[in-house]
Amino acid sequence: MKSTQRMKYLAFIISVLCMTAACATPPPISVDEALTAAEEEKLLWRQAQEEQQVLDDSGWLYRDAESETYLNEVAAKLKAFTDSPDISFNIKIINDPHLNAFAFPNGVIYVHTGVLARMENEAQLAALLAHEMSHCTQRHALRLLKSLKDRPAHIAALQHALEKMAMIQGLARILGVNGSMAAVSGYTREFEAEADRVGLDLMAKAGYDPKQALNLFEHLRQEIESEGIKEPYFFGSHPSVQQRIENAGLWLDTQYSGGDAGIKDSTIFRSRLNRLILDNARLDLRIGRFMVAQKGVEKYLRLNPNDAGAHYLLGEIFRQHGRQGDIKTAIRQYQEAIKLDPLFPEPHKAMGLTYFKEGERHLAQKFFESCLLLSPDAPDKAYIQGYLQRCIKNGEDS
Amino acid sequence: MKRLLVVLIVLGLIAGCASSANRRSLKDLPDYNFSVEIPDGWFKPKYEKRYLITKEAKATLLYVFIQQRPLDRSFKNTQKKLSTRMLPLESAGLILDELSSDRRIMSFEVLENTPAIIDGHAGFKILFTHKSKTGFKYKTLYYGFINGDSFYNIRYSAGMPDYYDKGIEDFKQILDSFKLAEG
Repeated sequence: MKSTQRMKYLAFIISVLCMTAACATPPPISVDEALTAAEEEKLLWRQAQEEQQVLDDSGWLYRDAESETYLNEVAAKLKAFTDSPDISFNIKIINDPHLNAFAFPNGVIYVHTGVLARMENEAQLAALLAHEMSHCTQRHALRLLKSLKDRPAHIAALQHALEKMAMIQGLARILGVNGSMAAVSGYTREFEAEADRVGLDLMAKAGYDPKQALNLFEHLRQEIESEGIKEPYFFGSHPSVQQRIENAGLWLDTQYSGGDAGIKDSTIFRSRLNRLILDNARLDLRIGRFMVAQKGVEKYLRLNPNDAGAHYLLGEIFRQHGRQGDIKTAIRQYQEAIKLDPLFPEPHKAMGLTYFKEGERHLAQKFFESCLLLSPDAPDKAYIQGYLQRCIKNGEDS
Repeated sequence: MKRLLVVLIVLGLIAGCASSANRRSLKDLPDYNFSVEIPDGWFKPKYEKRYLITKEAKATLLYVFIQQRPLDRSFKNTQKKLSTRMLPLESAGLILDELSSDRRIMSFEVLENTPAIIDGHAGFKILFTHKSKTGFKYKTLYYGFINGDSFYNIRYSAGMPDYYDKGIEDFKQILDSFKLAEG
């Protein structure tokens, strides 16, 4: 498909999806439609594979075998209780601090590091995966596609919906039709509600505590509110998360009588996704969400108090945030990092930069020298050498 | 005599046009306070409202983009802000944060990050590559510096490898000719 045609199609699909959010559930596929459905599903899967290829080649994947294996192990536990043996689930992680996860119709699910880093236990992970897996087992992409064919009236709403589309156009261009539908707009309110119900059933059957689903969504909502998070993604949007909370609450009140007996597994979860929490905090710092990044590092440090890299990162968060008193806190964190690992060059560089800007050239010189000694081939050594020369010249002049 | 006079006037006009073509300040973009010399063969596409020049019919294949942005203007992807107190290493770091968080930039890879002097101002130079969704690889040279309340950046971006090599010498001329307006 030519790119302009593809974009028009994408615009159409997303626009219509935006508008279908408030409409009735599309009808289920009847038996006599099954043959056509199978053909259409094949097409949908092929398209999904093409879109996944773009994502997989984008350089955005979080390449950590330990974390990825763990997520797939949890998905396998859940899969044993689905009635869709034809779908092979494959969970991949995207290096992105925003709150999101999305499923392609062929069972490939992408989860952002951002949402994983905010979870507390395996049951919360199971809740998110079960929701996403339910989109696949309930054939939401296919059912939606079929229902759209019968609804030309939706096209009338295109103009209004296109305004919304403009906000996510860049993202949609990369994610493709399926990815955008799953990641950004969600699959209509009714399909999302179905994924909530089926997902909660699934996690409960697999032995997990389904109340943890409610805890996860409550936690996400609190974070969205307290941090003023505004993201284009489904799980980063306040109305979507609020809807998940209401649906989970209703399901727990009416369908669940299992008490507190379910699996939570905080210890295993933390040990397997330990590093990811720190890596995600680095991403939050990159996008300038200082408070969120700080929370992430502090969460990691509670389990790994002697990690020099984490203390250095906390120092960077304070130094770059630059509020009153932050420089002192940053220096304390750098000193702690150097104490824990004297051969780690980064805190030496950071100390040098801090003192250089404070006009303490003599101290800056000491730290720039130790940084270059520890890391003679640092990628930014030309800067350090330049600042060091200025310190030396300053010393000679005075 | 009259014929000679006409020839002289025409020659004079041609000479005047040629010199003004060699050093074109941005008179069509009056908000900018810098000037550059535009090498022969380069032009500004009509659809472009920004200061972007190219020598290809399809500008995305090879272009130079020059921007003066207020320090307090927000970036698209990072909430961090540039400030007058920042060292070039720090402003380069912020630009790298912005670029590496951009979801339209795929397979982002930094090849070089070094200090640079632009029109006498201490700044930075970043050389990086990235891929488009279709897998086409681009190489970009990004120069930047802070002066007063503005962040100036001069970027050369081109498809790899053919287009990049095609314009790099011209870009060096453009960069060398970059001047901030007096006052």
